[in-house]
Amino acid sequence: MIEFFSYPFFQRALLAGILVAILCGALSFFVLLRRLALVASGIAHAAFGGVTVAVLFGLPPLAGGVAAALAVAGATSRSSRLGKAVSEDAAVGVFTVAAMAAGVVALGFIRSNVDLFGLMFGNILTVGAADVFLLGGVAALVLGALVFYFRPLLFASIDEDGAQACGVDIHRMRLLALSLLGLTVVVALKVAGILLVSALLVLPGAAARPLFAHWPGLLTGSVVLSVVMVVGGLLFSVLLNIPPGAAIILLGTLLFVLAVGFDRLRPRSA
Amino acid sequence: MSHPPLIEAEGLSVSLSNRPVLRNVSLAIRAGLRTAIVGPNGGGKTTFVRVILGFLGADSGTIRFFDPSGTEIARPRIGYLPQRSTLAPDAPVSALDVVFLSLFPGAGWPIRVRSLPEVREALNRAGLDPSLSAVPVGRLSGGQRQRVLLARTLAGSPQILILDEPDTALDAGGLRTLRRLIAEEVERGKAVVYVTHDSSAMGGADVIYRIDGSASLEESC
Repeated sequence: MIEFFSYPFFQRALLAGILVAILCGALSFFVLLRRLALVASGIAHAAFGGVTVAVLFGLPPLAGGVAAALAVAGATSRSSRLGKAVSEDAAVGVFTVAAMAAGVVALGFIRSNVDLFGLMFGNILTVGAADVFLLGGVAALVLGALVFYFRPLLFASIDEDGAQACGVDIHRMRLLALSLLGLTVVVALKVAGILLVSALLVLPGAAARPLFAHWPGLLTGSVVLSVVMVVGGLLFSVLLNIPPGAAIILLGTLLFVLAVGFDRLRPRSA
Repeated sequence: MSHPPLIEAEGLSVSLSNRPVLRNVSLAIRAGLRTAIVGPNGGGKTTFVRVILGFLGADSGTIRFFDPSGTEIARPRIGYLPQRSTLAPDAPVSALDVVFLSLFPGAGWPIRVRSLPEVREALNRAGLDPSLSAVPVGRLSGGQRQRVLLARTLAGSPQILILDEPDTALDAGGLRTLRRLIAEEVERGKAVVYVTHDSSAMGGADVIYRIDGSASLEESC
């Protein structure tokens, strides 16, 4: 078991996994507060369409993924300003299936090999040094933006009218949150895949929520639980010889169930 | 005591979903006066408030803001107590956080709440028990949460306070506190606007506008 830590591929996987976990754990806090679980999943699926369309036209896959994810994030944010005519979940539902369908059509025309399984489930054990550097750069950018805009993001996430009355541009904050989600999803795709990214944007916050009632604990708990899920899942995957993505999601689900159970059993205080 | 206008609305018309809600509304909100906006349900009172706050755009007409010296300014910070709070009931924030965020809503440092004197003072004035100031708002009663929002409205000492049906979620004690605070704020030269069905419940008004699609001056001091 311990000898795995001496293998460069496992060290890179661990480092990339921790970076993705920190990034997704921090964003999961806002996904939880803004009820963006469906949107986060939608953006991840839209990125799939962007990657395959980019491959079809001989463009960099990452650029296609970023464009599709940001386009869906922007369109979703825009639709929420239209009021009751188009709800946010309906908008993301429409844009997601459209992007997925475009991706499937593109896939039919692609002559080269596209690692569809890798896109869906990720391939964390094949992460290269360049992937880790890219991930590190995007993590620094996204986490920096989250720290700098933390106050208006938090305010707009818990009370839109109150924030707007105090001068916060709530539409800009919505677009910022969705854009950061989009960027994270795309760079994490290679490492984690669509399904695992979707799970990591929801599970850490959901598991931390029953344990922490105040935001500093909730935010820290979300990041810590995300790292525990990824590192623990990776270790279980090599121990039990099971796919790492599935191991991470199952461990996350177990932590969520334990957190809910703990919350039910602990005595209530006023 | 002079009462310069802090807000002047002229010829405001607003439609929602292609239905005209406000037609050619003109009125002035003056410093040092209690202005009540009364009218029937669906008459456009809350729409008017949302236009003043910048939440909604007007189809036509102008809104101008002034400082107490009469100089025209951009929309200033307005203390706003909504009719129905949009503060998420399970929001993982305390009363201290809510008031702190209203004072420092912009980007930058610090992200952690500091227990600033002005935050404590606003909570004290709103009558929130100090032992509850660090408790997540989800664990507070409806009346206590309304006091938190009232503290947020007062924080930063804005020149204009807009209270949308403020008596709906307050108990008798909360209403007494609110009446006292309104009197104190008016005494300090603030413009206090309340949207209400019954201006006497708020301790009376100096100016009453009736909004029912259009606005008419009903009573003035």
